Order: sequence, then C-alpha cells, then structure tokens
Amino acid sequence: MKKKLLSMLLSMTMVAGVVTGCGSAGTQSAADQLEAEGVTEIPAAEETKEEAATDAATEAEAQDAPALDLSNQVDLVFYVMGDAPQDEELVENALNEKLLEKCNATVDMQFSTWTDFQQKYANEITAQSADLIYIANWLNFGQLASSGAFEELNDMLDTVAPELKETVGEGNLNMCSVDGKIYAIPNTWPEYVCNGVKYREDLRAKYDLPVPDSLENLEAYLLGIKENDPSQGLLTVTTEESQGLKTGFDAAWVLNYKYPWVSNNGLDYGLAANYDTPSDVYDYWYSDDFVDDMKMLKRWADEGLWSKSALSDTNNSDAYKNGLCVAEVAGQNPNKQITAIADFENAGEGWESGYVAYGETNGVIYPGHATQNGTAIVRGCKDPERALLVLQTMLCDEEVNSIVQYGIKGTHYDVEDGIYKNLQEAAGETVTFAYEGFNTWNLRNGDTKLPQITDVKLQEMFDKYAALGEKTKFPNVNIYDGFSENYDAYSAERSAVSNVMRQYLAPLQAGLVDDVDAAVEEFRSKMKEAGIDVCREEYTKQWVAYCEAYNYK
Amino acid sequence: MKNKWISGVSALCLIMTLPFINWIKVVNLVALFSKIGVTKEMAGDLLTGYNLFNLLSFVQYSRQGVLGLFAMVLLILAVAAVYFNIAFIIRNVFGLGKGKGSLHLLAAGKLAFLFEFVTALATIIFVIFSNARFGMTGFLPSAVVYIELIVSAAAYIYIKVLEKKEREIYREHGLWVEFKRNWVLFVMLVPTFIYFMINNYLPMLGVYFAFTSFNFRDGLWSSPFTGFKNFEFLVKADLFRLTKNTVLYNLVFIGIGNILQIIFAILVSRVTVKWFKKTSQTLMFMPYFVSFVILKVIVYNVFEYQYGLINNIITGMGGERIDFYNNPAYWPLFITFFYLWKNIGYGMVVYLATIMGIDNEIYEAAKVDGAGDLQQIWYITLPHIKPTFIILLLYALGGIMKGQFELFYQLIGNNGVLFNATDIFDTYVYRITMTQPLSIGLGTAAGLYQSLFGFLIIVLVNYVVKKKNPEYALF
Amino acid sequence: MAKDLDYEQSVPKTIKKSTGTKVFETVAYILLSLGAIICVLPFIIIVSGSFTDNSTILTQGYSLLPRDFTFSAYQTIFKSPKDILQAYKMTLYYTVVGTGLGLMMITLTGYVISRKEFKYRNTVSFLIYFTSIFGGGMIPWYLMYANVLGLKGSTLAIWFPALMSPFLVILMRTFIVGAVPDAITESAKIDGAGHFTIFFRIVLPVLKPGLATVGLFLALGYWNDWYRSSMFSTNSSTWQLQFYLYDLLNATTAMKQMASNVSMKTADLPTESVKLAMAVVATGPVLLFYPFVQRFFVSGITVGAVKG
Repeated sequence: MKKKLLSMLLSMTMVAGVVTGCGSAGTQSAADQLEAEGVTEIPAAEETKEEAATDAATEAEAQDAPALDLSNQVDLVFYVMGDAPQDEELVENALNEKLLEKCNATVDMQFSTWTDFQQKYANEITAQSADLIYIANWLNFGQLASSGAFEELNDMLDTVAPELKETVGEGNLNMCSVDGKIYAIPNTWPEYVCNGVKYREDLRAKYDLPVPDSLENLEAYLLGIKENDPSQGLLTVTTEESQGLKTGFDAAWVLNYKYPWVSNNGLDYGLAANYDTPSDVYDYWYSDDFVDDMKMLKRWADEGLWSKSALSDTNNSDAYKNGLCVAEVAGQNPNKQITAIADFENAGEGWESGYVAYGETNGVIYPGHATQNGTAIVRGCKDPERALLVLQTMLCDEEVNSIVQYGIKGTHYDVEDGIYKNLQEAAGETVTFAYEGFNTWNLRNGDTKLPQITDVKLQEMFDKYAALGEKTKFPNVNIYDGFSENYDAYSAERSAVSNVMRQYLAPLQAGLVDDVDAAVEEFRSKMKEAGIDVCREEYTKQWVAYCEAYNYK
Repeated sequence: MKNKWISGVSALCLIMTLPFINWIKVVNLVALFSKIGVTKEMAGDLLTGYNLFNLLSFVQYSRQGVLGLFAMVLLILAVAAVYFNIAFIIRNVFGLGKGKGSLHLLAAGKLAFLFEFVTALATIIFVIFSNARFGMTGFLPSAVVYIELIVSAAAYIYIKVLEKKEREIYREHGLWVEFKRNWVLFVMLVPTFIYFMINNYLPMLGVYFAFTSFNFRDGLWSSPFTGFKNFEFLVKADLFRLTKNTVLYNLVFIGIGNILQIIFAILVSRVTVKWFKKTSQTLMFMPYFVSFVILKVIVYNVFEYQYGLINNIITGMGGERIDFYNNPAYWPLFITFFYLWKNIGYGMVVYLATIMGIDNEIYEAAKVDGAGDLQQIWYITLPHIKPTFIILLLYALGGIMKGQFELFYQLIGNNGVLFNATDIFDTYVYRITMTQPLSIGLGTAAGLYQSLFGFLIIVLVNYVVKKKNPEYALF
Repeated sequence: MAKDLDYEQSVPKTIKKSTGTKVFETVAYILLSLGAIICVLPFIIIVSGSFTDNSTILTQGYSLLPRDFTFSAYQTIFKSPKDILQAYKMTLYYTVVGTGLGLMMITLTGYVISRKEFKYRNTVSFLIYFTSIFGGGMIPWYLMYANVLGLKGSTLAIWFPALMSPFLVILMRTFIVGAVPDAITESAKIDGAGHFTIFFRIVLPVLKPGLATVGLFLALGYWNDWYRSSMFSTNSSTWQLQFYLYDLLNATTAMKQMASNVSMKTADLPTESVKLAMAVVATGPVLLFYPFVQRFFVSGITVGAVKG
C-alpha cells in the first residue's frame, strides 16, 4: 500500500516536473530579456504625451482667454474647522444670494467640530466630499499638498482669478507652493504668532523684580516671588506644547532667550541653524551647550520652579488665569497675552499681565507664514475653476467678504469708528454669529479687515515686532514654516527618535534625572540606536535644498 | 484506495501552485513598460514571469499600486490552496480525521480543490483585468493555470460523487439539504449577515493598506505597494517589552477582573435584604460612568508630589513625600486597581444574570439536604457560572494584544519616566502615529500585528478547549 | 414576576439561619459595603465638584462637599436649553431604536448558533467572532458609510453601526445555552413546534436576565457614544447627548491650543467644573432608569414553570 502510494507520488512529481519546465522556461530578469531583444531605450509613456497635449490645450485656452462659462449653477461644499454658528443658515443664504448673482454658485459651509478634528480633516480629503477647504501648516498642509491632495492652481489663477493673484501677491503664493506648484491661497493679513513669556507684571512691580527678558532675569523673577510668597505656584509646565521633534518638555522653551531656534522656529532632531545662515546646519544635542543647558534646567527643577509630577500633568490651560502660576513660557503668542489681559480685567483682582517676546531678546522675529491660514481646492472637486472664482469673490469682494466674516450688518454687527461691534453682545443677547463666525481665518483680507476692539492693542504689539523684524537678515519673512519634511524613506527611524524624545529627553529637560551627565549620555546613545543619524542626514539634505530653492542663504 | 489516488492529484495541484512555477507571463515588454512608465533601471527588478507568491513584487517595483489589492487576494488564495492541499494529503496519508467514514477527509479534499480552482480562475481574471486596465496584452496566463483549472475542477466533481455515496451510508447532509430543513434559521440570520457584511467584512479590505504607502494623488486603492515597510517600526520598537507589558496587564485584568466579578456577583445574589442588594449593586456600577478624562484629573490630584492628597496626609503624619510620578514601580498596581474599580460593577452584571438564571428549586433541594452557604456556592453556583466564565475568558484572549488605551493614556500621558512599566502596544502606536499623521498604513499595520497575535492565540486555545469539551468552545 | 419575589423572600422565613450562614452574611455585608463605598466616592467628588466654582477647584482641589456653591457649570451646559433637549431627544431615539432592533437581531442570532441541529453553528460563530479580531481600521469603515452608502448626515449612520457586537452575540449564545435545556426544545420539536414558536414561546420567557443584560449593555453603548455623531453628523440637530457635551469641552481646549497658531478669540468656559457637570448630566437619567432593569439581576426566576 505505502509503496504504491510512494510510486504514485513519484510519478506525479515527474508530471509536475514537466509542467514546471514549461511554466518556468520564460523566467528571467526583465532587464536581461530587454537586453536580449536589443532594446536600449524604453519610449516615454503615452500618458505624458496626453498630458502634454492637455497642457497645450489649456495654454491655447489661456491665450484665447474665453470668459468662464457660468451658465450652469454649481453647488460647492466649503469645509472649515470648528463649530457652526447658530445663524449658519441665515448667513449662508445671504452669502449665496450674492454668490449666485456674481458667480452662479452656492456654498455649503461644513464644519469639522473640534472633536477629533485632525482625523476628520484627513477623512474629508480622502473621501473627496468637499470642494474648498481650509488649510494650515498645523494641519500638515505641506505634506498634503506634496501627496496630491489639492488641485494645482498655477494656470487657473491666471485664467480665472487674476484679481486674486494680484491681491495675494506673488511672494505669498510662492510660499504656498510645493515643487513650484501653487496649491493654496493664503489670507492677506500679516500676523505675528511669535513666542514669548507671559508674566505677572503686578507681582514683579510689587516685589521689585527684574523684567524676565533673559534666562537670568526670568530665574531671578521666579525666585524672587518664591522668596516673598513661598506658597505661590511658579511655573505650570507640561509636555503639552512640546509634542513635536524639537523639544520634549515645555520648560525647555525658555532656552529661546539664548538661541533663536529652540522651539517653533527651529529644525527638528536637535539640529540648529541660525537665522542669518539657515543652510549652515549644526548639531545641538551632541554639543557641550546642550549639557550645560540641561544642567541649568535641572537646577531650576531643584529650585522647585515646577512640580516634580509635571510630566503627567496635562491640565495647565487655566493655571495662569487663576493665579496658580506666575509665568508661562511655552506657546505664548501676542494673542494669548491679549486674552490674558482681558481675563485679568474680568477677574478684577488687580492682576496685570506682562509679555516679552523671545524675539525681542534673541533678535529674530517675523510674521506668521503664508500657510498659516489658507484655502485650497480639494482634488476631485466638481468644478475647480468655479471654486477658484468663488474663492476670489469671497476673499476680494468686500461685500461678500464682510458677510462671510462678520454676518449681516445691522443684525449681527455694525461698524463704529472703523471698529467692529457685535450688536447682540452689546445688547446682552445670545451671540448667534460672532466675529469670523464661520471660522474662516483663511478669508481675512488685510485691506478690508474690520478690527475688533482688542485688535488695537494687538496691532500695537505687531507694529513693535514689525520694526524689529525689519532689522533681520530676511526682513519679516518666516523662512522656517514653509519647509515640509518628506520622511517616507526613514519613517521608522523618525518614529523611534520621537519615542526616545518622549522617554529620555523629556525627563532630562524637566530636570527629573539624578545625574545630568549620565542621563545625557544615555539619551545620546538611545538616539543613535533609534537611527538619529539617518534622520539628520536626510533632513539636512532636504532643508538645504529648501533654502536653496527659496534663496535663504 | 481511491482516496490515495486523489491525494496524488492533490499533490500535483500543490506542486503546480508552489512558487517555482510561473503562472503569469509578461509579454510585449517594451510596449508594456512604455505604457506603464517603467524605465530601464526599474526593469532590473522585474521578471518576465511571475507566480502568485512573487506577483506583488511586480506591483511594487513597477509601481502599479492599482494591481496591488488583486495581487494580494491572489496571494491569499494561493496560500489557502497550498494549506488545504497539504492538510488534505497529510490527513489522507496518515489516516487522520476519519470521523464518519471518510466524510471529513472528503470535505477537506473538496476545500483543497475548490481553492485551487478559484485561484486558477482568479488568475485568469487578473490577467484579463490588468490587460484591460493597460489597454494592451501585457500579461498571459501560462499553460499551468489551465491545467490547474481543469484538474482541480475534475477532482472536485469526483470527490463530490464519492461524498454523495458516503453520505447516504452515514445519513449526513450538505448545505442544500440543511438549508431546506432549517431554512427558518437561515432567515433569522439574514439581518445579521447584512450587518456584519457592511460594518465589518467589506471594510476589512482595508487591511490591504498595511502594505501600501498612501498618497492622495493615487488614491486608496492605487497607492504604491510597499511590502512590509509599514511594519518596520515594529522592528525599531522594543517589541518584546511592549508585548510583555500588554499581555501581562491583560492577563491580570482578565484573571483578577473575572474572579472579583464572580465573587461580588455571588455576594450580591446571596444577600437577603432587598434594598441593600439593590443599592450596593447600583453603586458598584457607577464607576462605569466616570470617564478616564475625569479620572485622570482626580488621580493626579491624589498622587501629585507637592500638594497631592496622599503626600499631604503623609507629611501631616511626619513622613517623607513619595514621588509617585517618577517611580514606575507603583503604577502597575495603580493601573490594575483603577481598571478593576471601573469594570467590576459592569462585568458583574453578566454573572449576576447567570446566577439569576439558575433554578431556585436546586438550591431548595440542597438546603433540605443540609448544605451550607459555601457548599451551595461550591456545588451549585460555581458549576453554573463555569460556562459563562470560560466563554468570557476565551473571548478576552483574542484581544490580548489590544489594550485599554484610554486607561493607560489618560493616567500616564506623556510621562516617559513611567514608560518602562506602563507602555503598552496601543499607547506606543498612538505616539508613533502622532509623528506620521497622514499615514494610514502605519496604524493598519499595527492593528494587523495585534490581530494576528490574538488570532493565533485564540485558535490554539479554542482548539485545546474544544478537544476537552466542545460545549465550552467559542467556535 | 411578583410571585417570584414572594417566593424568594420566603426563603429565610422557612429555614432558620445557621451560625455559618450568619458569619457568611456578615462578611458579605462588609465586603459589599466596602466595594460600594470605594466605587461611589469619586462620584461624590464629581457631583460636589460640579457645584463648585471653577477657580476654587483649580486652586484648592477636589472635595467631598461643594465649596463656593454655584450652578455656573450647569448654566454653561444648559445655556441653550433647546439644543440640549434636542440632544437628549435624539439620544433617546437612537437608544430605543438601536437597542430594540439590536436586541432582536442578537437574540435571533444567539438562538441560531446555539441550536445543536444547525450544522453550521460553529462556522457562523467563528465568522462573527472573527470580526472582533480583524478589522480594516477606521478609514475604510468611514468610507463605507459616508461614500459607498452615502449616509453622511443621516441618523441611520449613527445607530446602525452599533446594532450588534460579536461580544454580545457570543454572550447571548451562552445565556441561551445556559437557560434552555436541550430536552425542552427537543420535546417541543416532537410536538411539532417550529423554530419561531420555540423561540418566542420557550426561549424568550426564560431568557429575561440574559435579555436584560444584553439590552442594558446595548443601551449603555448607545447612551454613552459620541463617536458616530462626530464622524457622520453634519447638523447639530442630530447630535448625540454625549457628543454635544464632549464637543463643548473639546471646543474650549482646541481653541486654546489653536490660539498658538491663529489670532482668534477663545471661548471662556469653566472647564473643570463643566467636565464634572457633564458627567452628572449624562449619567443622571441612566441612574433613574436603572432600577427598572435591575430587578432582572437581583431577583431570581423559576424555570420550573416551563418544565412542567
């Protein structure tokens, strides 16, 4: 029995062998095959030819410049962040009335809500259900654009929206481009979102302490308060603002006094480049400066400037407002200072908030990047040309723009001495459409924007920084935020590096280690293991190329 | 005797499917490459013939993501066909699996040939599909595919005939007879079928994203196929530590959790004062409603170094402050406590309901026989709870690599000092995906790893349980 | 039901408690009281915190009794009572429809896969269990509902995805196997009863604790969910209660974070106390409703009636 089976299997194998022969006879490398056939060149794909043909067609169209066909009505979806205002329908109707008249199109505003908005934003683009969409660098604009999420606007801007192109300006559009192609239209209101330190001016004056405009003065200010009032909390620092690849713990932001490149305006992976010589990249984490700085932070921690449990605290948002801390050092921009002033006024305890921008000390300051607030047309949009026309109307047409931004004049707002006044707020009613009620910060038009009452103070600060910014090498240009890293080739290393930062850099910067030198050594060797060198090499290459392309030298 | 021959045919099919025989020939190289944009350099990685196991390498190196999902399906079919053929041959040669005559054996054979047939058919469809896609004849199925198609179809029909005879002997029936007999049961399953199809099985195609590098230009199904690139982070991670942490925590949660739930359920069921019974049960249910976001804040207020409740008490009594948030040793205990705290009341309901399903007469009879409380619990309650306990245990084992993400994430947050003792797979993956916000593949790959891990464990455990007592098996 | 209660209460009267029983009961009372106190303490903190002034919580921490008593957190939540009532209404609607339909489907499925005469019961069980292990992730799931079925903005997308869960199906199967002995269904079959008759006449009546448990889990799932509103709602009138509350909180935190990037006015919300008040607002109705379900877990039933 067994024997028979064996012989049978054997014969089967032989049959299979024959079959194999005929099956695998043709197996060889495609390159060898091509060589054997004597092919030296593979002709270019026909698709590109087709593309070229369509390019030519659009060019021809552009030359003929026929007016955009507006005969059929187009209903567009405009996806923006945040929650819908109560009077969404009312304002939308008013808006669409104008839009139908001017572009024969309507817009349906859709809102992300603030729950899971990052995820939903990505979903929306994947599902291609919106036509126009809000973009920003904090929503990964650079990566989305280079991965093909949006329509290219270069040609369309000329044919459909020359007014828009002129309003926004070549320079700003250029900042919204990836590989030479424009993917978004920025707003035209320059704002400074530089970082700085918020501190309690009233306490500083009371105890006669120095203004915290340097590391030494900040330390003196904090220690001075501690001496006078030991029960007073000093800094509420967490890991909230330090989730990226620059810092691991919020207290490390104070190093911005010393270097201009620590937090927002720096490079990743512990690399550094001075503003004057951006393509000259050098190393920070493996330098002696780093050890000294970590020792300083350790000293601050030992002096009790922040809680020993700070790494697990994620709840600092109201600490300053409620007097639980006397300074905030991470993620504080002029606008937050304005909010703090208002908060303290409301509290009525006689507290005063002071503000020092890091840029005032380190000399580097510039307005937000063009990709801070912008609009893009989602790939797969029903009618990209009409969408661009609608966008032009919403941004440049003052009548339409004011409806989108402020609602209906007389119902929601009025203008008093050139300043926006919310009528419902003034009357003590529920506000059904607030200032920029659609959250369309991307449609701010610098020429026609109505200032709010708080904007006056803000503008003062901006003017001060603008004067400072004029003195820098690239006057008032944000050279950093336009760069977007392409980490496809080393994403695993990048993730590992980020993990090491959470696990080893954060405790180091929070001063929670016993021996700084040993901890630094451990951090450095873990970084090497994680593959920091690969990341740094690639990143530097891309960064230098970026500087080259934008002529930041 | 006949069965032996069949296993020979199965061996033939198996050999034809194995990777050293090409199923698909690439023809008209120059025209094809030019059409799909393959350059001379890229051609170095390409072959002129492919089997189902390396077909994906063509997809990867020629950057034709659009064929990826189909090639993936072919690979899965081929693996299944190989597996079922081997299983069939082994059963046949070693005479395993002869439950009722050779019915089990034949069923295995049917499966083997069915998969061979489907695989061959799908290959032909693949060729037609890709040729249509590129608008030219770039692929051809090799002769093997046709042989496979015919041989497996013939073998399948042959087994069907054998099976029919066997069935008559053993009075067994197939799907059609079962359907005629129990059609009502099938009707009852229709809504369930629709639900799981929409909600689970169709979206399951997304597992494919684990092997692609998504970009918006090409879209979900045509993005480049990148092989195991998305899994690289697993190699970079301290996989052993993560797996150990996750599995250990889960084992403790499942074990202690169920035991405490049973104990409290029994206690509640034996208490005779009605209001106490109801109140205690309700109160123990309440932590379920406390979200982890709130729990985090309360916990932080209790354990904080400077002003935390516990440290205030300790210093009040003249002791030294304890630095909880910088000492990993405490946290496994705390986390387990809060898990139990939140879940006991909720999970207890299942056991309470089971206990309530026990016939009171049984207890009465026991009491008459003079059984005390503990004896009643030991001899009546526990045996009745046992099936529920085992099913819940088995069920939980499948998710052994998936963690209580919210619990860990909220209580520990970004505190790297505690990671060695508290980092589980889900929290790690969460941190990793934060650094690659647009990568769909990364999360999917992580999920696939967890799923495979859980699946292997549950299949093994279920097999063992089924051997011992089929009543308690999950499936 | 009333008859069963009498029956159970009569137990201690007819048979005198032995010493062992007394010791056992004392231990039971102590353990249960301890468990209940540990479980309810944080909830008391939450309730009292929800009535405490926000800055008091921040500066002085939590306490068992409210300090600086205020309704401001509730005023914030109920600032537009129309919206929150609508959210309550919608949640109730989702819960009732979802639990009703889901419970029916789960029970039917549980019945089918518990039938010994059903040849494919293990295959079906496996296919259902399989979905709890393998999944394609959120994006294909989202696209399935939003793009393929076009349900974005529809209420169907909010209640349909949670109708069943593999866990509840398997749990239901266990309950059915435990509650209905084979002998009973066999004899009914011999009497000529069809599957529907057996299901409604024999299985359902003895399955009350199981139905109550699965129904409770389903209903709680619906009541506590916010995710599907977040994903599929395009209009706040279809929001679930939990999403309404959750989004209120998220809007504040997100806008505060957002202010690092964009000049904008941030909403001022007493976050700490609102967080706690939210828990109370969402949990309150459930606690009121709970006793109606609870009787199925704390008082026994007799299967005897069916047997006879």
